[in-house]
Amino acid sequence: MTVETLIALAACALVGIGLYGLIVQPHPLRKVVAFNVMGSGVFVIFGALARRGAAAGMLADPVPQALLITAIVVAFAATAMTVALLLRLIESTGSASLAAEPPSADGEAR
Amino acid sequence: MERSMLLAAVLALPLAMLAACLWAPVRARILTLLPIAPLPGIAAALLCVGVPPLRLAPGAWAPVLMLDLVGAILLGTAALLWALAALYARCYLRGDGDAGRFGVCWLMTLTGCLGAFVAADMVTLYLLLGLLTLGACGLVIHDQTPPAWRGGGMYLAMALFGESCALIGFVLLAAASPDDGLLIRDAVRALPESPTRDLTLALLIVGLGLKAGLVPLHMWMPLAHAAAPVPASAVLSGAVVKVGIIGLMRFLPLHSAMPDWGQALAAVGLFTALYGVAVGITQSHPKAVLAYSSVSQMGVIVAVLGMGWSVGDASAALSAAFYASHHVLVKGTLFLAVGLAAATAAPRLLWPLLAVAAVLGLGLGGLPLTGGALAKYAVKGPLGDGLAGTLGKVSAAGTTLLVLHFVHRLRSFASQRPGDAAPVGLWWPWCLLALASLIVPWALYLSVPGGTVGDMLAPAVLWAALLPMLAGVAAALALQLSGARLPLVPEGDLVRMIDAAVRRCIAAGPAMVRADALLLHWPVALLLLLATVLGFGMMLFGGHR
Amino acid sequence: MSTEGGLLLAAAVLLPFTGMLFGMLAGGRQAQRIAFIVMPLGLVVAVGIAGTWLDGSGPVVYLLGGWAPPLGIALRADGPAVAMLLAVAGVVTGIGVFALADFGTPKGSAESRAAYSYWLLLLAVWGSLNLVFVSGDLFTLYVALELLTFAAVPLVCLGGSGATLRAALRYLLFALAGSLLYLLGAVLVFGAYGTLDIAQLAQRVQPEAASWTMLALMTAGLLAKTALFPLHIWLPPAHAGAPAAASALLSGLVIKGSWFLVVRLWFDAMPSVVTMPAAQLLGALGAGAIIFGNAVALRQARLKLLVAYSTVAQIGYLFLMFPLAFDAAAGRIAGGLALSGGIMQAISHATAKSAMFMAAGSIYSALGHDRVADFAGLARALPLTVFAFGLGGISLVGLPPAGGFLAKWWLLSAAVTSGQWWWALVLLAGGLLTAAYVFVVITRALRAPVAPLLVAPVARYRELATLGLALASVLLGLLALFDLRGLLVGRPSVGA
Repeated sequence: MTVETLIALAACALVGIGLYGLIVQPHPLRKVVAFNVMGSGVFVIFGALARRGAAAGMLADPVPQALLITAIVVAFAATAMTVALLLRLIESTGSASLAAEPPSADGEAR
Repeated sequence: MERSMLLAAVLALPLAMLAACLWAPVRARILTLLPIAPLPGIAAALLCVGVPPLRLAPGAWAPVLMLDLVGAILLGTAALLWALAALYARCYLRGDGDAGRFGVCWLMTLTGCLGAFVAADMVTLYLLLGLLTLGACGLVIHDQTPPAWRGGGMYLAMALFGESCALIGFVLLAAASPDDGLLIRDAVRALPESPTRDLTLALLIVGLGLKAGLVPLHMWMPLAHAAAPVPASAVLSGAVVKVGIIGLMRFLPLHSAMPDWGQALAAVGLFTALYGVAVGITQSHPKAVLAYSSVSQMGVIVAVLGMGWSVGDASAALSAAFYASHHVLVKGTLFLAVGLAAATAAPRLLWPLLAVAAVLGLGLGGLPLTGGALAKYAVKGPLGDGLAGTLGKVSAAGTTLLVLHFVHRLRSFASQRPGDAAPVGLWWPWCLLALASLIVPWALYLSVPGGTVGDMLAPAVLWAALLPMLAGVAAALALQLSGARLPLVPEGDLVRMIDAAVRRCIAAGPAMVRADALLLHWPVALLLLLATVLGFGMMLFGGHR
Repeated sequence: MSTEGGLLLAAAVLLPFTGMLFGMLAGGRQAQRIAFIVMPLGLVVAVGIAGTWLDGSGPVVYLLGGWAPPLGIALRADGPAVAMLLAVAGVVTGIGVFALADFGTPKGSAESRAAYSYWLLLLAVWGSLNLVFVSGDLFTLYVALELLTFAAVPLVCLGGSGATLRAALRYLLFALAGSLLYLLGAVLVFGAYGTLDIAQLAQRVQPEAASWTMLALMTAGLLAKTALFPLHIWLPPAHAGAPAAASALLSGLVIKGSWFLVVRLWFDAMPSVVTMPAAQLLGALGAGAIIFGNAVALRQARLKLLVAYSTVAQIGYLFLMFPLAFDAAAGRIAGGLALSGGIMQAISHATAKSAMFMAAGSIYSALGHDRVADFAGLARALPLTVFAFGLGGISLVGLPPAGGFLAKWWLLSAAVTSGQWWWALVLLAGGLLTAAYVFVVITRALRAPVAPLLVAPVARYRELATLGLALASVLLGLLALFDLRGLLVGRPSVGA
């Protein structure tokens, strides 16, 4: 049981927790948090793979690390957009519920 | 080269007129220009038989046009009907606010109808069939009465179903033909050896037979043809139905003898012939009677094709085409007569109308010296002397009965307001068409080598033609005298079955909407996402084991 | 080794994004002007790429910075990519012209945030789509996909009402779930094979538990973004609630991005991993989408919802090509008639559905509502728009010479030659159902009104833009005359 394997298993647990939260939690903010937990899990798996794929004499494979940074930025942007939308939704309707409503009641923009 | 260009003009002129209809001023006056549209068709039928096929663009998908003798016969008579019916429509629809829309639908149907006679490749034919369906649907719906909507909807649904079957048939045919070519002639020549032969034939017969009105795919005909305005009914029942016939003639490998298929087709045809008569005599609206008569006559034509196919006799197509061309003109005349009768009250006008209608109608049953007799004589050969021949004679008797019923209903349909007279603009196209129905079959008979007037006057021939007619007259008298009440069969008899099926399908709709609302729940959707992952995983794993 | 003309690929991606950045700095009216400068330039670039591809003998390749994969990023354009680039450029131009009416800022009026955002988002969607089509490795595709989602979500809530915000939030969360699954799959790919470049993957990937897991994860994630049944929950409220110009963009183009990714994955990256049951499952989901989407569309009372559910159904068609492309003899998926049919279906749907949404938008702005039952007299009031809607319907049903017919013919031929006749039945049943609701809408519009219809005037150029796209979809089938099958299938994309 090397360090990478342990970390990877922990990351799988993170993904599982995040997925569970995404499915079960009704409040959108909690879904965002769950999404971030799941995302972190994926990133950690990537990191573990970087460590495992390291060439002789190097500490870690540089390619996944570069990709990881991009992915973190993307996840951050996604979180920012989601929270902004959520704030606007609360401002506009007063509630943060994502409950399904009959499509025919949808407002019409233009 | 120039004569091949005339083939292109058959399609080009109506399409150009359609394009011009995009401008509202042209659309408002299009009714007066309608008689011009089929004129290239008449010219092509006379001049272009057997010219080399005209390829409109390079490549495998190019539209190709071609005219053989069978196509020419049908094209010429159909174009003549379209022209005279357009003259009739010009007067019939004067003052109708929607005349522009009528003209557009008319042109669409005309393009599809005449084009189908000259199309030589599958994609062009499919395009023209689609154009035809849309235009004809518009013609049926024109009056916007409830029967018109029902007829139009039923027509569209069944026509699209038929075209879908035909499309798969075309794809199968193209797959079996050398180099996946799309030329009908080459593909059909390769059809008998193809591994998917039976499926292809079944699909083509269902798809094209639906357009021709074979039982049990005929239900749309009485509904649609009765609900359309009179000139539209005339061309729908006269010319448009023949598109199904020419399709069957072109797509069935008549040159190769297939006894089981041929006899099955002949059986369906003869059943249709008798069925049309049986239901037709229960109808009270003259247009419905005529529609069932069309069903019956198409059955006879298909039976002729079937009998010829079972022995590999390709000349059966020529006899069938001759029979069909006579039907084109006569059915058109009879439909226009309905419109005239509805507007005429004076006996001195009504009786000649009824008399001419009776003569022409009885021609359908084989009245000697009419074109009908020539037609019946022509198809006697392919039908043979066995069961098919006998049933053919029975159908002639039945047609006589049906025509007498029609004339009887036509008299009751006449206008009740004394002093009512149809305008002259309706009379003279009708007279021209009636004259054509008498002259054109004789002209065709004498122009194609092999027949003389003397043959037709031989006593044996006359007696053979008269016998079924007398039987029909006797049956009519018997029915009338016995006063038996015939069962009231609604128009489009088997439509009830379709209605029930449609109702059940519609009931499924709200269930699906409820299911959709269920899917909108967030946990359900995400669990379905996980299920998708697992599903694909299992399929990928299992497929490799 | 970049091929000549490869720089055009980078230009195709950079041009819209540069325009977007300048527009963001310059402000509302300038954003619109910049968009209208970028659109013709983008068309020229797309045509240039097509020309380069037709002249060359393989895909057009560009290596960013000259570094070869797996260290560097390669942009690759093969037949399907070139076709999609051209189609998107054309449709975006059409939608842009149409959007002038809703989001144009005439002189003398204050700039609105919605108008300003719309032009920026239009360019962003275009740029992201171009990146999806030309990307050569899985991670760039992930970035492109996320860009596409971020550009598309605000388009949904451009109107600002609470319901559209909710629809946008639901879309975003579901799409993010999908992209996380995709990312997880991509990460595992890298862990197993050491490269994310598609061309290299095709040579290294083996059918084993690892690759099956990856493919399953990535496919499911992409299906969530493409809204394939039964993962379509977010699409109808989102597309129906957005303004017409935005719905046209969303339904016509954004969906095609994630779909194209599935094509890349299955056909180019992991063709030997795909199995027949998996392809049949994808086709079965597609068939479910067709039947379900069309059935629910028939029950809709509002035109925009009807068109949105029609999109759900048409997405199903896009996935029917997968089982039909599976070569049972070789045991792997192979491009061919089915691939051509799928690409043609995508292009023809993009044009037809955009035209239909644009028509629905014109009808809404003219009547003030879009209830189908009250459409009587519309044909006389807005003839061009109703005609355009009908033409779009004809393309979806599949009558020649529309692109939809060509796609249907190719797919049917593939079904017939591979013996999978049940897909043929699904295709034709879908055509009949589509014809049903198109018929209902058109005949309702053709009926004479009980009382005269009150109609607000609709700008002529708006109707003409709608008609232009509808005509394009109906005439697409004429491409068959030029034997451009090579464009859609022909040369393989692997091999840089």
